[in-house]
Amino acid sequence: MINFDRKSVMAIRLWQKTIKIMKLVTVLLFTGIMHIHAAVYSQNVYNFNVNNISVKQMFKQIEKNSKYTVFYRLDQVNVDKKINVELQDATIETVMKNVLQNQLLTFQVVDDIIIIKPTDGKIIATLTVTGVIKDTQGSPLPGVTVKLVGSSLGTTTDINGKYSLTLPDGSGTLEYTFLGFTSQRIPVNGKTSINVTLLEEAKGLNEVVVVGYASQKKKDLTGAISVVDVQALNKQASGSVNSQLQGQASGVTVIGSGQPGAEPQVRIRGFNSFGNNNPLYVVDGIPTQDISTINPNDIESFQILKDASSASIYGARASNGVIIITTKKGKGKVAIQYDAYYGRQVPKGGNVWHTLTPQETADLKHLALTNSGVTDFQDDQYNPDGTGSTFTLPDYISPAGAKNGDPATDPSLYYVNPFYTNSDDYNSFYRITKANKAGTDWYHEIFKTAPITSHNLAVSSGNEQGNYLFSLNYFNQQGTLINTYEKRYTIRANSQHNFNKHIRIGENLAYSVVDNPQVNYNSGDAVIAHAFREMPIIPVYDIKGNYGGDNGPGLGDSFNPVAVQQRTKNNKSLAYRLFGNVFAEADFLNDFTIRTSFGGETASGASHSFTYPQYENVENSQTNQYNEDSYSNWNWTWTNTLAYHKTIGKHDIKVLVGSEANQSYISNLGGARQGYFSFDPNYTDLSTGDVGSASNYSNRGESSLFSLFARADYIFNDKYLFNATIRRDGASNFSAVHQYGWFPAFSAGWRISQESFLKSATWINDLKIRGGYGIMGNQLNVTSSNRFDAFSSAIGQSYYAINGGNSAVAGFYQSQIGNPNAKWEKDVNTNIGFDASLFNSAITITADYYRKDIRDLLYNPEVLGTIGNGIVPFVNIAKMKTDGIDATIATNFKVNKVGFNASFNLTTFSNKITKVSNDANYFDSDNTRGFDVGFVRNEVGHSYGEFYGYKITGFWNSQQEIDAANAKVQQASNDPNATYQTDVAVGRFKYADVNGDGKITDADRTFIGNPNPKFSTGLNLGINYAGFDFNALLYGVFGNKIWNNVKRWRDFYSSFVTAKSQTALYDSWTPTHQDAKAPIQEINSSFSSNAQPNSYFVENGSYVRLRNAQLGYTFSPNGLKKLGIQKLRVYVSGTNLFTITGYSGVDPELQGQPDAQGHTTFGIDEGTYASPRTFLLGVNLTL
Amino acid sequence: MRAKIYITLSMALAIAISSCKKSLDKPLLGALEAPLLETKDGVNGLLIGTYSALDGMAGTSAIGGGNPWETSPDNWVLGGVAAGDANKGSIAGDVSEIEPIMQFYSDPTNVFYNSKWKADYEGISRANTTLKVVAKVTTLTDAEKANIIGQARFLRGHYYFDLRKIFKSVPYIDETTTDFNQPNNTDVWSKIEADFDYAYKNLPGTQTSVGLVNKWAAGAYLAKTYLYQQKYTEAKTVFDDVILNGVTSNGLKYGLNDKFDDNFTPETENSKEAVFAIQMAANVDPDGPTNANNGDMLNFPYGTNSPFPCCGFYQPSADLVNHFRTDASGLPYLDDFDSHPIKNDMRISSSTPFTPDAGTIDPRLDWTAGRRGIPYLDWGVHPGDSWVRDQSYAGPYSPIKNVYWNATQDVDGDNHSWAPGSAINYNVIRFADVLLMAAEVEAQLGNLAKAQSYVNMVRTRAANPAGWVHTYKDPKNPTGGFTNTPAANYKVSPYPGGAFASKDFALKAIYFERKIELAMEGHRFFDLVRWGIADTELNAYFKYQNTVTTDLRSGKYIKGKNDYYPIPQRQIDLSASGGSPVLKQNAGY
Repeated sequence: MINFDRKSVMAIRLWQKTIKIMKLVTVLLFTGIMHIHAAVYSQNVYNFNVNNISVKQMFKQIEKNSKYTVFYRLDQVNVDKKINVELQDATIETVMKNVLQNQLLTFQVVDDIIIIKPTDGKIIATLTVTGVIKDTQGSPLPGVTVKLVGSSLGTTTDINGKYSLTLPDGSGTLEYTFLGFTSQRIPVNGKTSINVTLLEEAKGLNEVVVVGYASQKKKDLTGAISVVDVQALNKQASGSVNSQLQGQASGVTVIGSGQPGAEPQVRIRGFNSFGNNNPLYVVDGIPTQDISTINPNDIESFQILKDASSASIYGARASNGVIIITTKKGKGKVAIQYDAYYGRQVPKGGNVWHTLTPQETADLKHLALTNSGVTDFQDDQYNPDGTGSTFTLPDYISPAGAKNGDPATDPSLYYVNPFYTNSDDYNSFYRITKANKAGTDWYHEIFKTAPITSHNLAVSSGNEQGNYLFSLNYFNQQGTLINTYEKRYTIRANSQHNFNKHIRIGENLAYSVVDNPQVNYNSGDAVIAHAFREMPIIPVYDIKGNYGGDNGPGLGDSFNPVAVQQRTKNNKSLAYRLFGNVFAEADFLNDFTIRTSFGGETASGASHSFTYPQYENVENSQTNQYNEDSYSNWNWTWTNTLAYHKTIGKHDIKVLVGSEANQSYISNLGGARQGYFSFDPNYTDLSTGDVGSASNYSNRGESSLFSLFARADYIFNDKYLFNATIRRDGASNFSAVHQYGWFPAFSAGWRISQESFLKSATWINDLKIRGGYGIMGNQLNVTSSNRFDAFSSAIGQSYYAINGGNSAVAGFYQSQIGNPNAKWEKDVNTNIGFDASLFNSAITITADYYRKDIRDLLYNPEVLGTIGNGIVPFVNIAKMKTDGIDATIATNFKVNKVGFNASFNLTTFSNKITKVSNDANYFDSDNTRGFDVGFVRNEVGHSYGEFYGYKITGFWNSQQEIDAANAKVQQASNDPNATYQTDVAVGRFKYADVNGDGKITDADRTFIGNPNPKFSTGLNLGINYAGFDFNALLYGVFGNKIWNNVKRWRDFYSSFVTAKSQTALYDSWTPTHQDAKAPIQEINSSFSSNAQPNSYFVENGSYVRLRNAQLGYTFSPNGLKKLGIQKLRVYVSGTNLFTITGYSGVDPELQGQPDAQGHTTFGIDEGTYASPRTFLLGVNLTL
Repeated sequence: MRAKIYITLSMALAIAISSCKKSLDKPLLGALEAPLLETKDGVNGLLIGTYSALDGMAGTSAIGGGNPWETSPDNWVLGGVAAGDANKGSIAGDVSEIEPIMQFYSDPTNVFYNSKWKADYEGISRANTTLKVVAKVTTLTDAEKANIIGQARFLRGHYYFDLRKIFKSVPYIDETTTDFNQPNNTDVWSKIEADFDYAYKNLPGTQTSVGLVNKWAAGAYLAKTYLYQQKYTEAKTVFDDVILNGVTSNGLKYGLNDKFDDNFTPETENSKEAVFAIQMAANVDPDGPTNANNGDMLNFPYGTNSPFPCCGFYQPSADLVNHFRTDASGLPYLDDFDSHPIKNDMRISSSTPFTPDAGTIDPRLDWTAGRRGIPYLDWGVHPGDSWVRDQSYAGPYSPIKNVYWNATQDVDGDNHSWAPGSAINYNVIRFADVLLMAAEVEAQLGNLAKAQSYVNMVRTRAANPAGWVHTYKDPKNPTGGFTNTPAANYKVSPYPGGAFASKDFALKAIYFERKIELAMEGHRFFDLVRWGIADTELNAYFKYQNTVTTDLRSGKYIKGKNDYYPIPQRQIDLSASGGSPVLKQNAGY
């Protein structure tokens, strides 16, 4: 038995001095590739002057100062013997002779090894082992470490995966290790050739997870962290990583839309704030709020830090959760990868809004008039001469009600100048528009099948000297809504240069150019709403091909949505963003690593748009206006950390301290002019409009953060895990008094499976219970100006024509009430959970229960009107509590060559507001949308965003019923004027007397629906057999309610003149149809039907959707090799193939408006941009 | 070499830590801090800001949030539509919040109340800020200080007057208040009186700018405040002074304009009749009609060939129009005006011929209500139905007093938004109003002849044929000028000597005169309430108007309850500091 001395890691590092030249590949954007050469030369002669040193220490000295590794048997060498060595310019032989003096030893130098042996020993028969290391695909792996176990002998494979290692003899075991692959040990047994195929590491317990400023093995995690399978993410065809995230991780809710480039709402464990609830993203160590420009193909790993123990090291910005993204690094030999897909996006078909035909629309009007007691059925369109009482469709809607042959429809009378510039011209228009008796399908006039494509090219390589990855992406998604699209170009250059084993520098940079016109939606005035409002009798174009519109009596006042969108055709906007960092890392004193990273972004953009005068509508904006807007923002973050990691026996200790500084700046600039002589897009700019109409604006803002933080991880015996973090953040957004906040957290884990009493349970591979507690902060809702009492001057707010006439003099007003006392929001967070890996890791389970107590919630409560209307500052007033469960179960097994994998995740959160402000216990957060009061009420004791209004218990089916109810109230109140319910009539809604006072008042309004789901789930299924792979993602949301405001427009004749629904005509209350959905159709709106928010508009929003299904085929590598192809996979895939839901609208997935307000409104439908069904053909090719 | 790297990195770290502390101190960007305004120009700017709140607008929305029409300074909804001057207009469901208000079943959550409340308190807040800052400015003379204080207090008085007449019980906040959660349990009339009294005694008779309020405007408002409290003796003293000695801020002796319509055109604004006018200016803001009476942006004729882009609201009621019927001697039908209705074109399409009423009519009608067959300013002969959004819903008429002229539309009309703005000032008090208020005071004090003489001044001006609507020289070219032929059979005369034989008759005639002279100017509802006849007048109105239009079927006025609008529920909820609300709701709600 040979006992080789165990050498420290240092020995290997010395060994690697033999790598004489290291190649640094630093890819600098736009400047090409630069090579830096470095060289380390070994000495050939040595100088020593040491006294009273042990042989062992002397060996270390030799190894430190030379290229040699000293190799010996402990039982043969007296290493503790003290010697003196005084030599000048001595060869290694001379040195060794000196060292071994007076011992019966000799030595032999073989390459870089000095082998010590007894003087009587035979000549050592060294053995040189060679071989090639490949992966399962047969590709050679460069940079694999090959090491003789228990020694410092080792090498790495070259660019062709080849290695050659000389061993002292033919015994021992070689270990092959490579990042991302499972290590292998193979006994030498005298073999001179050992070829190895390394298996890619299963994502298991040893998977390295990037956490706050550090990384940990999965088995050692004590916080609640979701690790997202990036491959599964990329199965979804989307330009947005966030959109791909839906259904992939427990504890994360993603609500998206079909609009290209629109980032979805991402909520980690529900709501944490009354304002911005977006998580913090940390991309390659750089904090940001915006990952919309990240190329999904560039992502290497994706982690979600959900609880305080994992996230609170990000302190003031952690409260909404933290998503850590690292981008890809090159590894292995040069690889060229090309991934591309092309697809078609198909909007929902059919009569999506259940719209009445033009004749049915006329019939509904007739019904409403009849129900309202009108007896005169003269109608400008349907019965212009007033004879008879039936409604028939006209041949022309303009001139109103005209029939074929009417001289008023003589085309020679027609005059419309679409590009008119003065009102006299406009006032002389003569419009002739035919009725579209078949009905215009406005939805499909603006929603069309549209292509989507992505091309991604990546070149990468990496070895011990460094690595690089260069990628190019072209993404082009045309929106199903005409004239919306996202075109995006991104370039990424990531590289790392290892100066030597201790010092690394590198950078991760991405530059993107985005062209992404979007539309507003989920608003009654947005283009999609115009599509459900515009009546079907109106054609898209009039008789001369100009736009048709509602310019005529009885046609409502909505816009031709096709015109709205086509007029945006020449508008342009481009956004440019450089995002990334440069970093340097150095290891020293064995256990320390120091790292500095400087990163951030510069982002700018410019857009211009032209507003054409309208002519086709009844309410036409006659102005023409050109707008140009631009922004220029930057921010940087400088992070410095010092890490210590040491394993001493059973103790594993990691400590990290760091500092981080952040500065950000935004600025906006823009202007507008009107009165253009020509609307030619090549002519219009800010200089060519009427100078008297010029307006402009600019503004800027800045903020900064400075932070210190520390984390400590301690593991005892691989069993007991402890973690503590603390961060102190200083923010410019707060006044000096409250500038700093402390955010501590700690957690612990216990790997019970390591305990002896569970060792016998072989079906348990790993079982860990863990818990944590900590405080996270939030400051997103305040700005640096929050603390100031501010006065401003603005023309609309504070100018006055004090001198009479048409000129205004500037005045001042208080624009903001300052709050110098604002401080950090605190999210006090508790998490307990367990991780289990069972049945040979075929099943893994992770489950967490959490509680969040949001204190000092920054909110700008509406203040008493008596204070005035300056912008109310944010104060630390509100409180909220959230708890819930996240769980993931995954399984992975193989039956007869057929591989199965599945993972199921569950997200629940229950949110309760516990305080709003000192003055009020609720606030309404959505606009009124046609009612005279708001219907989204955030009230103490309820969840964020609940719907509020009257609860309908049925219809008033007879006058007697009404009289009886009124009589009761009149008797009780002794008031002959009293009524049970305002504005009540037969066929209208009967509201619930919630407070039981015997009549309906505004105090009877109650909570009638919660848009927060009870739970949401994602189910990923995968099957592979031979070259085929199949994957599917099912996403489900359960127990949420939707406010369908489309119904307000369309189920009631009296809520505006618009296109109406089949419900209004066929399922509304009549004396003979009392079991109806909608109330009686009348000409006037009423408190008891559509004028008040009530439960009619609330629907069940649960749904299950096949988000994605993909079938792929990977060609066998053997045949491809001849073509120089390493890998070729083709696939077909479909998105949103089916949705199972009871919701009557177009799409149950509903975020709020895509604007600032959209942070806190959701589950409201007023014309959504639905996610289309997408069919794709794709290819993955590696050269 | 390594050591050097470590040292460099450590130093960099140390520098990073020390240098970043300073950068946490960020200044206020793009706005002023208070001390910068403690100068003469600064406080004058704050005073202008206080005037700026008069129009109730902040850009294109109401000043405290909400839609512009919710805080219109002329109270066209709360004072006009709700009083039968006009139907809401447009179509059913459009600005549906008005529907419960005009039929008196609204509840305290109605957004109009909260918006109006916030707009008035914003004005008060600005006045208080001005008063606070003026005390800190050392470079002003006493006279300058008194002038600024007088104006700020006048404006504060105006805002409180608006609140008092709408909501009755309102909390009082002045420049000394630190706790803004004040109860609404004391009557603010005395505070309003004090503000106007100070302004009346301290403001100069003329000002450097015509828009600045002066002593006489303050006097008129003070007298109006007395009148609302039925303090007739005090009111008379001040009214006498104002009528005898009053001049406008630009020094014009108070008097009636020769032509009635001169009160409603920008070209003749700030005339001798303008006692206190809110100055409107069109086309000063390219972003929208923000200073151009945005509150009335909906109130223009609407239809297929209407020259206005929006919106068909504030349609004079058939009942109002009937008030303008005169008898053979040119006097009104004080009691049975609805029995002598003026012929309208209900359910007659614009393409069907129609002949307007041939009977005698007070000429002020055609400056008040646009009707079919009569020249509508210089926009052409009103075509009836095609300029009306839904005749059967809200009747056949169009508003006029807030509508700019065709010839000057580029100057006085503001079309920077989807609905028009207008440069026409809103007269909070014009001299005809002063005369009619004074007449009321005289009648109450028994001076019937004096009362009659004031009323006759107003009627005599109306009788000036030069001020009537005339036919176009060329109906195809309406901007080409007018003939001398009256557009209708106009006849209006002063009351004959001794007509005001009794106090009852005098008051009835005065009330009626106010109705027609000041129609569509937002005063009617508050007059009806202070006269105590809102229930009888309005329930009669509903009865008649329901024979014409379909929009008021649920209309029912309940005396006691509907005399004041409810305190906004939101404000009551917000005042619930520590449990029970400090603000108390008005009776009946």
